[in-house]
Amino acid sequence: MSSQKKIVILCGGKFAFKALQLLAFENYLCGIGIGKSSSLVIEALETESENNNLDFKSFPDKKSISEMKSWIEKLKPDFIFSISFPFLIPENVLSYGKEKFINFHPGPLPQYRGPMPIFEVLKNQEKFTAISVHFMDSKYDEGPVIFKELLKVEQDDTYGKLAVKLSNHAAQVALNMANMVQFAGKIPSSIQESKDAYYFEKPEFSDTCIKWKNMTADEIIALINSCNPWNTGADTSFQGEHIKIIVASLYNQSHQNTKPGTILAITEDGNITVACSDDKQVSIEVLKTDIGIITAKQFNFQENILGKKFR
Amino acid sequence: MPKIGVLLPRSTYYETIGFDLFEGLRSGLNLYGFQDVKIVTENIGFGSDKQQCYRSAEKLLLEENVTMVIAYIGQRMAQLLRPLFLAANKILIVLDSGANLPTEYPSCPNIIYHSLQNSLGAWLSSKQATEDGYFSAGMVTGYYDGGYLQTYSLCNSFEQAGGQICFNHATGYKENDFTMEPLKNYLDEFPKSALLSLFSGDYVQWYFSGIKDWISDKKTTIYLSPFGVEETMLQKAVFPNCKIKGVAAWSKNIDSQENDLFVNTIKKAGRTPNLFSLLAWESAQIIIQVFDLLNKNENNSAQTISDLLSFEFVGPRGKVSFNSKTNTSVAPLYEVEIVLNEEDGMCKVNLLSEIKDTKKAFELLSELEIGLATSAWYNSYVCV
Repeated sequence: MSSQKKIVILCGGKFAFKALQLLAFENYLCGIGIGKSSSLVIEALETESENNNLDFKSFPDKKSISEMKSWIEKLKPDFIFSISFPFLIPENVLSYGKEKFINFHPGPLPQYRGPMPIFEVLKNQEKFTAISVHFMDSKYDEGPVIFKELLKVEQDDTYGKLAVKLSNHAAQVALNMANMVQFAGKIPSSIQESKDAYYFEKPEFSDTCIKWKNMTADEIIALINSCNPWNTGADTSFQGEHIKIIVASLYNQSHQNTKPGTILAITEDGNITVACSDDKQVSIEVLKTDIGIITAKQFNFQENILGKKFR
Repeated sequence: MPKIGVLLPRSTYYETIGFDLFEGLRSGLNLYGFQDVKIVTENIGFGSDKQQCYRSAEKLLLEENVTMVIAYIGQRMAQLLRPLFLAANKILIVLDSGANLPTEYPSCPNIIYHSLQNSLGAWLSSKQATEDGYFSAGMVTGYYDGGYLQTYSLCNSFEQAGGQICFNHATGYKENDFTMEPLKNYLDEFPKSALLSLFSGDYVQWYFSGIKDWISDKKTTIYLSPFGVEETMLQKAVFPNCKIKGVAAWSKNIDSQENDLFVNTIKKAGRTPNLFSLLAWESAQIIIQVFDLLNKNENNSAQTISDLLSFEFVGPRGKVSFNSKTNTSVAPLYEVEIVLNEEDGMCKVNLLSEIKDTKKAFELLSELEIGLATSAWYNSYVCV
C-alpha cells in the first residue's frame, strides 16, 4: 500500500471545522491555513492545531498570501484542499504542483461561481445544491470539476441551515476526496462548460432588498431565507425606517388587487400579512427594526399599521 | 460491443463465490437475450483492501472503459468508490448482502444497491420471536458476524416489540475459540428465552454442533437471519434437535416459474444455485434496464438511476422493487423452519410462507436511528 498522503487544508473558519476534524482523525491532515476570520475562531483553531501537532498559519489579508508559498514548501503536502478560503491563490503558489490544489465549492458549478453560492441558490429557489470538488486554477471557481455531491434544498432552509448542512456534508466529501487522492492512479475531471457558467459577485444592498412591486410571495420568502442570518434578514423600509425581515412564510390568500407591500391583516398568532405582486400574501413573524429584533406582534404595537406599506 | 465490469471477491468458506456470482450474471444476461456484452472481471480479494478495490474499479472504468461496474462489496467500500464513479459519470451496481446498516443511507446519484437484505431478515426474525410469545432473548453471534450492524437491527426489532435482550454471546471466529458453552448457563438463568442468532457459512455448522448434545433439554427456539438459513451450508450442518425458525432471502424450493428457470439454468451450467448466483442472476435484469435507460437518457447516470427506482421485475424470489430513499432493492422474504433431514441427520429448510410486506418493513428499518453504533468491517459479508 502506498504511504499515507499528507493534506493541508486552507479554510475560512467554522464551515470547514467538521472536515478538519474528520481528516485529522483519518491521519490525512498535516497543516491548517486560515484566511480572514474572527480572532476567536483563529485562536481556537491554533490551539487545536498545537494540541494535535498540526502546522498552523493565519493569512489575515491578501498581502499575507505572499507567505503561503514558503509555508507550503516547508510542509511539503501531497495535496492542498481549500474549503471556503476567502482569497484567490496566486499562480506562484499554485505552481507548487499541477492538480495539487483542490477546492470544495459550496454550490453547483459552473452555474454558481462566486463567493456566496448558498445565497444565490436559495434566492433562485433551486431544489438541489451541491458541493463541487474541482482542481484550482488562477481564477475563482473555474478549474476542471472532479465530482459534484448533490444535496437537497428543503423549503424551509435558511442560509444558516443550509450552510450547516453543507458543512457537515463537506466533511464526508473531503474525506471521500482524500481517499480518492490516496488510492487513485489518475483523478478524472471535466472542463467546466462555459455556456452554463455564471459568476455571482458578493451580494450588495440591491440584491438583498425586497422589491415589493415585482416580486412574488415565493420569491420574497426565498430572499428572506437566503439573507438569514448573515444579513440579519432581507432589507425593506417602513415609514422611512430601514427594516430587515428575518422570518416569514407563505399566507396563501388572495389580496384582491391590493397594492404590493400593503399590510393587510394581523393573524391570530400576531403575524403581519402583506400583499405581494402575485395575488398572494406573506406572513411576517420576525423583523429587525431600530429598536432591535422583534416579533411581528411587538411590531404591531405601533399604531395604525394596517393599510400602511412596506417599500 | 458494450462492456460491463465485475468486481469479484473470494471467501474461505464460500469457496466458489466468485464463480457463482459470475455464472449467475452470465446465465441471467444470456437468458434475457443480452449476450452481446463483454464481461470484464477483476479480483478484489476479501473486499477489505481499500487500495485493491479502488485500483480494480479504476482499472475497469478508466482502462477498460466499461459502461457500469457490478460489485459484491460492502456499503463502506461503496462509499470509498463513490467519488470515482461520480467523477467518471459511471454507474455502480452493488450486490449487497444487506448485513450492515449504513450510519447514513447512501443517496449517491449513480450507485444502486441490489440487496439480499440480511439485516431486514434479522429484523423480521426477531419480530417473529415476539409473535411466537418470546419476550426474553439472547443474541448469539460470533466475532465476525457480530461486527456488522445486523446485530443492531436484530436487537432493536425485538425491543421495539416489547422484548428484552437478557444476554449476549459473541464467540470467537477461529474453530478453537468457537464455543457455545456459556449458552447453557444463560438458558438456565433465563429459561424462556429465544436465541436470536446471527451466523453465516461454517459458523452455522459449528453453532449447531456446539449445542446439539444439550439444547433439546431447553425450552428455547433458535431464530436465524437469511445467511443463517442458507441451504447449501445447512445441508452440511448437523440438526441440533430443537425448534429452529428463521427468515430466508431465497430457497430453491420457492414454487414459481422464475425460480425453476433460475435453478435449472444454473444446474445446467454445472453449478449449485445459491444466494450469490441468485443475486447476480437478478442483477442481469437491472443491468439490461440500465442500458436501456442510459440510451434513453443520453448517458446521464443520475437520471438513469432516478428512472430505475420505479423499475420492478419478478425474479426467483418474487417481485423486486426499489426503495427510492436509499437506492436499495427490496424483494419478498420467506418464513422458514429448519427440520431434520431423515436421510442424513443434517438440516433441511421448510418454506412456510412468503413475507410480502417487506418494502414497508425496510422503510422502518432504514429510518432507524442508529446513533453511535458503527461497524469497522470493510470486507464483503461472508468474505473471510
